[in-house]
Amino acid sequence: MILVRMPQKKKELTLPGPKRVLDILAAAGVRPTTVLVTQGTRLLTKDQRVEDGETVDIISVVSGG
Amino acid sequence: MKCKRCRKAAAAVDLPSHHSAFCPDCFFVFFRRQVEEGIRKFSLLEPRDRVLVCVSGGKDSLVLWDILMELGYDTEGLYIDLGIEGYSDRSGEKIAAFAASRGKEPIVVDLRREGVPIPEAAKRSRKEECSVCGTVKRYFFNRVAATRGFTVVATGHNLDDEAARLLGNLLHWHGDHLERQHPLLPGEGGGLVRKVKPLWRVSEMETAAYGFLKGIDYVTEECPMSEDATSLVYKEALSLLEEKMPGTRSRLYMGFLTKKGTFLNFLTSAEINEAPPSGAEHPGTCAVCGAPTYAETCGFCRLKEKVGRGAVR
Ligand code: SF4
Ligand SMILES: [Zn+2]
Ligand SMILES: [Zn+2]
Repeated sequence: MILVRMPQKKKELTLPGPKRVLDILAAAGVRPTTVLVTQGTRLLTKDQRVEDGETVDIISVVSGG
Repeated sequence: MKCKRCRKAAAAVDLPSHHSAFCPDCFFVFFRRQVEEGIRKFSLLEPRDRVLVCVSGGKDSLVLWDILMELGYDTEGLYIDLGIEGYSDRSGEKIAAFAASRGKEPIVVDLRREGVPIPEAAKRSRKEECSVCGTVKRYFFNRVAATRGFTVVATGHNLDDEAARLLGNLLHWHGDHLERQHPLLPGEGGGLVRKVKPLWRVSEMETAAYGFLKGIDYVTEECPMSEDATSLVYKEALSLLEEKMPGTRSRLYMGFLTKKGTFLNFLTSAEINEAPPSGAEHPGTCAVCGAPTYAETCGFCRLKEKVGRGAVR
């Protein structure tokens, strides 16, 4: 399974891997242009493949401004 | 996906609105050029400027400070501690850590010490937190700039912020706000300093990606007062449009800036006249504190007066 963490929403979900980042975002119900998807210190592009057993973080970039 | 610029490294940031994707190094170059171009286009900053950068602890303002330093501007950071339990303290810590890593120390205005911490000041003056916050921030931007010899105040508003604000102003036909919406607000003399938004060309996503790749540690939590901010609804609407039609946001805002003159002629001059006279007439001085104002006492002193009265009750 892929562990998907959304620290600002204090939410986590697991999805069967492998999966493309874009599909992970769709499954998490998140608009792609409103977030960064990170893995440690790496930034992932939307077409990247995430393998089974890996963890990714979805970080919202939208602020009240 | 490969980087579209160097065609060697793997891409880390994809930018559908620019039909592009960059590796970290090439993205830094791209981002820096966008900011430089934004500064150049409206002559926001001069090499000799002393720039007061307003930092909140969020990504935008810290990225702004970082890139202005990198571009060689003479900058200091101003942190206004809003006096919001927990949130303000965490923001202050991130700013202090960032500044220290760049060999700097932020200028701090503590609203508890000034007698107007936002939550209490709002309650006592019976106003919305964000409206009180706006008055207080504007006051200290001008005051710190004037007393410490800064020639310009810079804030971290990005393209998404400005496009969302534009959409809101259009939906409500706020002629006076439209008139004043611009990356450059000239100083009006008498202590009202020039205000600029050097990040107006870069999106919120680009700014966040830049901050992340540069390892800038910022507060990701929102100001607790910002719940149900309407600006988030406009941002949501624009990101829906952006997804279907990449580039919409920047076409909306850049189009407004280039066509602004013609466009505003459609609005009645009566509406526009609500804005304070720009340039031609100088503000007077506040009878209480001497700050520049178009009224007899400035908005900040009127607020403080209300806050004081609220306390006695
Ligand atoms: S959300 Fe409101 S109170 Fe909080 S920083 Fe923004 S304007 Fe100030
Ligand atoms: Zn590259
Ligand atoms: Zn005053």
